[in-house]
Parts: sequence; C-alpha cells; structure tokens
Amino acid sequence: MSRKGRTGRGRFLLAAALLLALSVGFEKEFGAAGRGSGAAPLLYLPSGRYLKVASLGYDELLADVLYLWSIQYYSNYDIGDRYVYLEHIYKDVITELDPRYLDPYLIGAMIMSAEAQDPEMALRLLDKGIAKNPDQWILPFEAGFLCYQTLRDYPRSSRYFEQAAAVPGVPPIVQRFKAEMTRRAGDIRASLGEWAGIYDAATDDYVRTIAWKHVHDLRVQVDLEDLTAAIAAYRDRFGRAPAGLAQLRTAGLLAEIPRDPEGRDYVYEPQSGRPSYGGVSILGR
Amino acid sequence: MTGRILAIALNTFREAIRNRILYLLLVFAVALILCAQTLSLLTVGSEEKIIKDFGLATIDLFGVLTAVLMGIGLVSREIERRTVYVLLAKPIHRAEFVLGKYAGLVLTLLVNTAIMALCFVLLLLAKGIFDPGILLAIALLFLQFLLITAIAVLFSCLSNPIVSCILTLALYAVGHLLWSFDLLRARLAAPWARALCAGLQRLLPDLAPFDVKGQVVHGIPLPPGTVAYAFVYLALYGGAVLALACAAFQRKEMQ
Amino acid sequence: MAVLTLEGVAKSYRTHLSLRKYWILKDLSFEVHPGEIFGFIGTNGAGKTTTIKLVLGLLFPDAGRIRLCGDDPSRPEARRRVGFLPENPYFHDYLTGWEFLDFHARLHGFRQPERRRRVGELLERVGLKNRADRALRLYSKGMLQRIGLAQALLHDPDVVILDEPMSGLDPIGRRDVRDLILELKRRGRTVFFSTHILSDTETICDRVGMLVRGRLAAIGSVEDLVRGDVGSWEVTLAWPGPGSPPVGEVLSRRDDRILLRIGSQADLHRLVGSLNGGGARLVAVTPARRSLEDLLVQEVRGSADAAGERRP
Repeated sequence: MSRKGRTGRGRFLLAAALLLALSVGFEKEFGAAGRGSGAAPLLYLPSGRYLKVASLGYDELLADVLYLWSIQYYSNYDIGDRYVYLEHIYKDVITELDPRYLDPYLIGAMIMSAEAQDPEMALRLLDKGIAKNPDQWILPFEAGFLCYQTLRDYPRSSRYFEQAAAVPGVPPIVQRFKAEMTRRAGDIRASLGEWAGIYDAATDDYVRTIAWKHVHDLRVQVDLEDLTAAIAAYRDRFGRAPAGLAQLRTAGLLAEIPRDPEGRDYVYEPQSGRPSYGGVSILGR
Repeated sequence: MTGRILAIALNTFREAIRNRILYLLLVFAVALILCAQTLSLLTVGSEEKIIKDFGLATIDLFGVLTAVLMGIGLVSREIERRTVYVLLAKPIHRAEFVLGKYAGLVLTLLVNTAIMALCFVLLLLAKGIFDPGILLAIALLFLQFLLITAIAVLFSCLSNPIVSCILTLALYAVGHLLWSFDLLRARLAAPWARALCAGLQRLLPDLAPFDVKGQVVHGIPLPPGTVAYAFVYLALYGGAVLALACAAFQRKEMQ
Repeated sequence: MAVLTLEGVAKSYRTHLSLRKYWILKDLSFEVHPGEIFGFIGTNGAGKTTTIKLVLGLLFPDAGRIRLCGDDPSRPEARRRVGFLPENPYFHDYLTGWEFLDFHARLHGFRQPERRRRVGELLERVGLKNRADRALRLYSKGMLQRIGLAQALLHDPDVVILDEPMSGLDPIGRRDVRDLILELKRRGRTVFFSTHILSDTETICDRVGMLVRGRLAAIGSVEDLVRGDVGSWEVTLAWPGPGSPPVGEVLSRRDDRILLRIGSQADLHRLVGSLNGGGARLVAVTPARRSLEDLLVQEVRGSADAAGERRP
C-alpha cells in the first residue's frame, strides 16, 4: 500500500469518527425532546379488523408484538393519562388480531381494574374473551373473582363462576368458589346443594373436609330459616308462638322437625319464639 | 426426459448454494429464530406463545423472501446473461428447462426450510415446549413456498426481475387477503360486480390453506383433510402456473 | 438431403417503445449440404447471428421455413445431431470445466461411465485437461472458446454450427480452430460457421454465403464467386513528368513512381498503348485477383447505394 493511499483513507476514517461522535452527542442533547412521542402513534392504531389487512397472515405475531409493547407502555408510570386508549388497545386491537391469545385478556383486565380503576371495562374485556374462548375456564373465573372482590356483586359473581364451572376439565376449586358465591349471593339453599354435591363427589379428604364444614353450617342456617318461617306462619295462624317445635308438625306447617347436624334438637325459646342452634358454627358465621 | 430435468435441477441447486444471498437470508433467519428467546423475556404471561409465533413467522417470511428473490431471476437471469443459448440448443424441450429450474429451486428451498426448522425445533426442545404440530405448520409453509416459487418463475419467464418481484409480492399479499373479498362482495350492489369479485377470488392464489400457524400455536386441532386440501390445491394451481410458465417460455425469443 | 434449409426466411424486431419494425433478414433462402464446410460471411450487424439463432430455434421467423436435419428447429429431435458454439460464449461461470461438460453430457442423456469417458476425451482434445478443476470464471477467452468447442462436440454431432469461432483468438488459437474444422470435414461432418474475418473462409470453406443487410448477396464456392476476370491490376509506372497517366486510378505516388489501379482489360491496353514514346516506363504489372473482401465491399456499397445511403 502506498503511503499516499494510506493517509487518504485515514482522513476519511477520521472524518467518519468525528461526525459519528457529533451525531451521537447531538442526539443525546436535543433528541430527548422527540422521545415519548414514539409510542404515541401506536395508540392510534385502527381496529384489529382493519389491521388484519396489513398483517398479511402474521396476525398472531402482530398481536404478540403489540401485547409486548402494551406491557412496557402500561408499566411506565411516567406517562400520565396513559389509560385513555386502554380499552381500544386491548379489546379492539390486540384481541381482534388474535382472539385466542389469553394473556391480553387477563393482564388487560388486571390493568383495567387494578390500575385504571375501571372494573366494568375489565369485565367487558373478559366478556369478549369468554365469548371467543368458551373452552377456557380461567376467563369467567377471573371475571367472577373480579365481581366478588372489587364489585362485591355476588349474584353476578356467582353467574360467572357457574360459567366457569361448566367448562370441562375445570379444577375443582372453581366449584367451591361457585358454591361460596351462591351463598354470598343469598341463596343458601342452592349453596347447600352445591356443597353437598362437592362433598359427594370429593375424591380426597382435604376437599371432603372443607365441603363438610360448609354443609354443616349451611344445614344449620337452612334449618333455622325453615323453622323461623314455620314459626312465623304459626304466629299468623294462631296469634302466638308455638309452645314447642313439635307443634309445628302437628299444625301441619312442617312435614317433620329437622334436627341439627349432630343429631340433636334445635333449641327453642317459647318466649321469644326463636329457634337457635345448640352447637358452634364451624366456620364462625 | 426426467434425466434432463434432473440435470438442470441439480445445476440450478448448485448455482443457488454458491449464491451468497442465500446464506445471508439463512443466517438472518436463524439469528431471528434465536432472538425469539430474547423477545419472550419481555412478556408477562405465556413465553411459549411468543417464541412459537416469532419462530414460525420468521420461517414463513424468510422462506417467502428466498422463494421470491431466487425465483424472479431464475429464467430471466439466464436469458440476460445469455447462458441460456447453449442450453436451449441442446436437444431439450423448452418446458424441460423451466421445470428443471423450478425443481432446482424447490430443492434449495427444501434445504433452506430444513435448516431453519432444525434450529427452531432445537430451540423449542431446549425450552421444553416442542409440539409435533409445529412440524406440520412448517410443512404447510413449505408448500406455500412452492406455490410462490411457481408464480415467481412464471413472471421470470415473462419479464425482468424488478417487475417480477413487484408482481410476485403483490400476489403474495393478495393471497393472504382473499378473505376480504367476501366483505367487499357484500358491499357491492351490482350483480356483475359481485360476479367479477367472486371470479377474481377464485382465480387468485389462495394462500390461507397453507397458514396454520395460529391454530398450531394455540393447540387447536386442525380439521381433517387440511393437509390433503393444501396439497391438492398446490398441485392443481401450482401446476397451472407452471404450465403457463412453460407456455410463455415456449415461444419466447432469445434475443 | 440438405442438412440445413432456409426458404424465404424473414425476421424483424421492434423496440419496446416504438411501433416501427426493423427488418434484420428479408427473404433469406439457402441450403447447406452434408459434409461441406459452409462459411457464412457478412459485415457486423448483417444478421449472421440472428440467422444462426433462427436455425437453432432460439428465435422464430416472421415468415419462411427452416429445416434443420429435416425437422423444424424448435423440436428437440432436430437438434439431436447438432453441436453449437455461440459467439462470446456465456457459460455458467461458477461451474468448473469438468462440471460444465458433465452437465452438458447429462443433457445429451449420457450416463456413467460413458459420460466420464467422453468428458475426459474432449478435455484432452481441446487441451484443457489440466485446467478442468478451475471455475470457468477464471478461464481466459481462449480457454472459454475451447471449452465451448468441447461442449459442442461432446455428442459427436453430424452438424456443427459455430458463431464467430475465431473472434478474439490469437493466431495460434485461430489456427487450432481452423484445423479442427478441417478435421471435422475429414470425418464427414458438416460445419456451418459465421465469421467476419474473410481470409479464413477463403482457405477452408467449400461454399460461402454472403449476407448483406439481411439479404443473401452471393452464394457459391469461393472459386465461383471470385472466379474469372481478374478484377484489376496494380501497375507500377516510372513517370518522370508532371500530370497523371490517362488511364487508371492513382493509388500512390513517390519520386517518379506511380502506382495505379487499372480496372479492366481494355484500360490496361489503353495505358500500355499510351506509354509509347512518352518517357514513361512500365515497371510492374500485378493482377490483383478479386478477393472475397472486395466482393463484400462491393456488395455492401451497392446495397447502400440502393438503399440511398452511404456506409461509413
């Protein structure tokens, strides 16, 4: 290599290095202003139905990429006002591109309820997921849990758990949740029936024990309810409380007098006309 | 006859593997597949889906790119470089030349796809998320490559590489959008427009039967006859395209 | 039966953008007989390569009929006994010499071990046995020409068609090609080749076809074409005085020597007659036999005049 050739090339290399350093410095100094708006265009994505056209058969991949982006975006607490398009992104874009992708429903619902404080939005998303994935129990389960814990809407919760329980292959805990939600929704008789069913179907002692506890307490509650209703009916008819529980039978108001789970009679105070349970409630209710 | 087609096919294969573009694409593809692992770290939730989607999409994309980039120059480059003169002066049918070139590219794609598939499967096995359905998805993707190659070869017989590239990629895009023709047809009022739309939908290459990536990744069982349908469609449509290519080449003037 | 027949062949082309047709060949008709060496000559751009491509089925005529070995050239059977070497051979340059010949041998349908034998034999014959492992990309022009010849002769064809086989070769190479053509004739093969180097054709061709602007201006054996009248004489005079001799075209003048061209027998007589008693002396009279080149130039000029333009 001639001397001349070497210096010629070196000059250009030096210039390149210098310009590169300058550009890096420049970008560092002044480029920050442009940052942050990089994510913004993604917020204005058209609905997934139209995005499908652009994805040319790579729908699932696009859904993945958008989901990954969304996680990063929504975990960035510096961005104020970031929940504006939350529903659009999860419900109308990502889950439109790949309706069977479960993570966006679950994580989306979590962000919506826990961070954006909008449980109804979360439930809309989960409803969509349930409609598109009837074979997945986790979605109605999450919805049911959301209703129970955040909304304290037990009847609604119970309906969701019923949906979940209907899915084949659902884990047994869901059944138990359902039974409990039924109770909290106020229908103790149905709840008792469900718990009894769980008890009968139980294949291990752990489940059997839990079920028995519930059955026990619910049995008491149901019996007491029946007794109270019968006493009230007696009062209506005869104008006073019965002297003893056996009179409820003789008056034809009850086919037979229930006994408590331990086999004893229920305690009855004629003065107050109230039946009560002689034992201790296992679950402390 | 098959001896001559085979000779041309092997020669084409030999040319392809001495072509640096092939290696470039392959290296990129393998690198991307391995990147799937890195990308999956970003997710909250199922890693498996990210890796599988990414890997299959990479194989799909790079297979198509290879099919198109090598297919468009298959015939036109030979004509342009005049290497075709001495070959066509031999006692061969022109159709044997076209089919031989096509077969050579098919062989190249087979090796290519096998390498990409191997890397991907190894990654999946290492992560314990391998599922035989993946192989089925890759096999159908391979059939897709064969169809696209046929289209590229047809254009290669008709015009220069740039035009061929644009048209082949356009047909690839349309092939994935045929579902939208149904939507379009519903919006059209005139019966002749609907008929035209329906006709086009039938005539254009349908690439949807070859795309089972989503189903495989979600573990949804494929309807019986999926593979058979794809195979027969490829044989018929691809055969038609190749026949067209042979027809075009039959009377092409070798200026 | 003629090995190659053209009847009324015409070929035109039009550029992409214009609608005008350019005629390359017009009403071309001739025959090539078995066992002869036929030289196809003409200026550059006359249409020689086009004719050869038509003969091999690489192009299709606009009009007329072509028969190669009795068949239409577009059918493979016609080319079975034909070997072809194109001008400026373009071969797959990523192949080695051996791979290249092996590939072509396969196209002819040769199987092992016959294939190996033939390839080795041809490599030997063209003197490339030692370079067979190198990629064609690394071959010199002469080597490419030789491997091209090897390819054309692999299947021992009855007819060998060569397009400008001597172009770009050094004199040794040209002589080798010439010897090869003669050897082919000795073995009863037919050779049809095109060239614009006329000196080669005069010595080896049995017959010559001259193509001028797409038409066959002359065809026949070399003797027939340039036979007979000695075309002209070159006369050297000693001419002491000023002025010019009364007859003839002055080619050059030096000291008192004038070189004249005399175009006809009559002019020669007139000149000689005029010299008597003038002090001028006849130094030399050389009959210049008209060569093919002269004929070509004459035909070209004639054709240009007919077309109303002057060729440079």
